Amino acid sequence: MTMLGYKNCVLRVDLTMKGATMEPLRMDWAEKYIGSKGLAIKYLYEELKPGIDALGPENKLMFTNGPFTGTPVPCSGKLSVAAKSPATGTINDCSIGGHAGIQIKYAGYDAIIFEGKLKEPGYVLIEDGKVAFKDASDLWGLGSHEAEKILADRYGHDYSVLSIGPAGENLVTMSCINSDYYRQAGRGGIGAVMGSKNLKAIVVRGTGGVEVPNIVEATKRIIEIMQQDVLQEDNTFVFDYGTTAFLEACNDGGILPVNNFQDATDERWVEYNGDVLLQGKKGKRGCGSCGLGCGNFLQIGDAICEGPEYESIAVAGPNAGVRDPEAIVKFNQVADNMGLDTISAGDVIIWAMEMTEKGIHDFGIRFGEADKMIQYLELMAKREGVGADLALGVKACAAKYGGEDFAMHVKGLEYPQYEPRGSWGMSLAYAVSDRGACHMRAYAPNVEVFAAAVPPYTAEGKGQMVYELAESNAVKFSLCICDFWGTLNYETMAELLTIVTGKTWTVEEMGEVGRRVINVARAFNQREGFNRKDDTMPKRLAKEALKSGAAAGQSIPQEAFEDMLDQYYDVLGWDRNGMMPDEMICQL
Amino acid sequence: MKRLKFSKEKCIGCQLCAQVCSGMKEGAYIPSKARIDIETYYDNGNLKYKDSYCILCGICAKACPVQCITLGEYLTVDWSRCIGCGTCQAKCPKKVIKIIDEKAYICDTCQGNPTCVQICPQHALTFE
Repeated sequence: MTMLGYKNCVLRVDLTMKGATMEPLRMDWAEKYIGSKGLAIKYLYEELKPGIDALGPENKLMFTNGPFTGTPVPCSGKLSVAAKSPATGTINDCSIGGHAGIQIKYAGYDAIIFEGKLKEPGYVLIEDGKVAFKDASDLWGLGSHEAEKILADRYGHDYSVLSIGPAGENLVTMSCINSDYYRQAGRGGIGAVMGSKNLKAIVVRGTGGVEVPNIVEATKRIIEIMQQDVLQEDNTFVFDYGTTAFLEACNDGGILPVNNFQDATDERWVEYNGDVLLQGKKGKRGCGSCGLGCGNFLQIGDAICEGPEYESIAVAGPNAGVRDPEAIVKFNQVADNMGLDTISAGDVIIWAMEMTEKGIHDFGIRFGEADKMIQYLELMAKREGVGADLALGVKACAAKYGGEDFAMHVKGLEYPQYEPRGSWGMSLAYAVSDRGACHMRAYAPNVEVFAAAVPPYTAEGKGQMVYELAESNAVKFSLCICDFWGTLNYETMAELLTIVTGKTWTVEEMGEVGRRVINVARAFNQREGFNRKDDTMPKRLAKEALKSGAAAGQSIPQEAFEDMLDQYYDVLGWDRNGMMPDEMICQL
Repeated sequence: MKRLKFSKEKCIGCQLCAQVCSGMKEGAYIPSKARIDIETYYDNGNLKYKDSYCILCGICAKACPVQCITLGEYLTVDWSRCIGCGTCQAKCPKKVIKIIDEKAYICDTCQGNPTCVQICPQHALTFE
């Protein structure tokens, strides 16, 4: 059946031939994967040949929204961006905020798939049903912010821009896609996939709308859910502090990484916490359809950004031995403009700092050298000098120069800023995430540290715990809903999906979608040759105990980690090599 | 008389106001047809605000050449008499009136209970 909420239309853009076609959405897939994350992975699983070069024209860059996009369902303004990752070789779906996802929906599309490669640098202009291919020779080489400003001046602020910086153009496998200046599809080198297609930007404007059944009643119920569920204290803290709020919680819990994950607490955290950063606040901004408004637009000295997010604060702050708030904001601003993922770019720089300090290889930078840290971003984006090496990522750099024990990554995706020795479940979450070390697939510290609902320093029960967190996020992100609606449960998901699509959805189906999305991502990766050998933990976590903080003395014994992996595979019905049996693949 | 008020310090630019407005009035979530248009955007390193919403000033009613707009507790448009001339749109100081298919679309504050105010998550829009 055709469900409302959808536009029932996929725009397929052939960059090689400069043509665009529209086709009906695979509604049978939408019924199993809903939208956004799940639908993108399903399409790519079906359409990408195994073993392709992620930076070749045969990779596809896919933008998907969901049935809630463009409706007042709270926190539904996100957009999934997916492709095979050049950083890891796995599937990679990113989530970007701002307004571009809603513009795409109002332009008439549930998804846009970019195929092939432009012969010369260009951008694509989408105005409702019209698709135009434009020359980008004047934009190529510019920072992402600079390119967005030119395009905003050219077309007006009613258009959304998705763009890459020099890092994406230069195929750096930690490059991101920017939109609304300060929102990113950050991880796994998604910007390099766009760059490999010579696609500098996508400019989109939609003037259409979204239809749902019984819209007056639907709107009234959505308003009730906004007031009763979304706008409660467990969620609204992000309006006041954004993710800077996590800094204190992580430091108290002993999971705030310091000096490239050598320790996990910083007594100087008050020097760069939310109270300090937000003194420079100039305004608030959320995504389209948001109820919470996490974005703090702020300026400290010459440095401007929206955020900075916890991840960027931690990696450019204590994990780099830096405590200067202006330097942290500047790092964020330059990384965004260069089109670099702050997490991965930061991680490779702090690894280089430790390499230099330990005398293993001199990268010319040591902990605390904030100015150099910021300069290195530009070198990496342009692959110049020492940046040419560091742009390869921490896995490739460690293979070349050593220091593998403290090269913090899984499958070549650098570690987010939650130290697993203080939250053992997080080592499993990073290991089994569908795109390498990602904190958005299952967020263990919430249970193990912040809520203290589960003992953090044990393997017991962690397979089930991480699975449940992952299942919930997999369906949530397939609904295109932001992580910050933390109180959202399956009952509300099913109710909203029923209201918007007109098809009855049950609580059980929400869990089934989540499991299916985890499985189709695993099937993609399995087909690329990934198995247990790739679900790893950096050696530092087993070999070195934390020295200070709430988790002082903790390390994660390798046997405990392997036990957690066994548990997780068992919960999913995968074999002990982490492989999904054929009969499960057939059901996807 | 109660009027819409907008506090830009509280606005997060979510555009939920325009979504629910069009949902209640046009049968689809289609902000391009909404009778309110509040947005934020970045320009030259600053956060800018676009705030088109009806302030019930009544200029449209005074300007209408066929007297089809009436200002009471809220604005009403008699579409049987509206000729779609666009005078009200041109005179509207908040640029909130749209002419669609030769008819004027004007905010009627949902007849004194504006849905945009009900959804506004950070109370940037109030009715007082």
